[in-house]
Amino acid sequence: MNPRPIYIPVILGTTRKGRMSANVARLLTGEVAKQSGVESDLIDIANLPLPTDDAGEAIKDGIFSEKMERADGIVIVAPEYNHGYCGLLKHVLDSCLKEYVHKAVGIVGVSAGPWGGTRVIQSLLPVMRELGLVNIFWDVNFTSVQNAFAADGTLLEPAYVGRIDKFLKELVWMSKTLRYGREQIALN
Amino acid sequence: MKCPRCGSPMNHHADKVFQVHDADSSTQKTFGGAVVEIHSCLACGAVATRSSS
Repeated sequence: MNPRPIYIPVILGTTRKGRMSANVARLLTGEVAKQSGVESDLIDIANLPLPTDDAGEAIKDGIFSEKMERADGIVIVAPEYNHGYCGLLKHVLDSCLKEYVHKAVGIVGVSAGPWGGTRVIQSLLPVMRELGLVNIFWDVNFTSVQNAFAADGTLLEPAYVGRIDKFLKELVWMSKTLRYGREQIALN
Repeated sequence: MKCPRCGSPMNHHADKVFQVHDADSSTQKTFGGAVVEIHSCLACGAVATRSSS
């Protein structure tokens, strides 16, 4: 077996002040780290010093690139803003490419309304595919996120823990499987 | 291909079109970009690329 632990960082995909998704991202990071043989890390895109006068790999950040290269899977916490994803999340994701190829991704949608970010998840799927990421078939949908956490960030709705566990079991399995493929199965 | 980080053998597991614009390139004319080989290191997990010939 490969001795390196599986590494699945969580990307907090918004820079908006007062973002409720920060609670979701912290919760997910803790739950990922509870998985056997898995390490995690919270990547807050607000902390990445990416310029906005250019885009793509021309503005690659060394630390983010290193984490994406090390990653076997990725969790993206994506709030839904006007039925779409945060533009700065796309800006960050576009700064890498080779780092993502044949790696697993799971998306956590977040919204203040009743749909839990289903539209932002759907709109991210073709982006994931073009980046070379492999999307799992479980999502997590945080509906009415303003009611899901206490002021101190404590989760108020325990049902999410079971949903997250199902999501992560699939993501870890896919991350292990794709690592094996990347390292052991040649294209030709 | 040897890993640029640790020197171990790498596995070629994907080809991917990278969107570069070189009108004179044959791969640009065929695929709309440069086809790049993606390699992963069996030992350390590093990722490396090289042009597909």
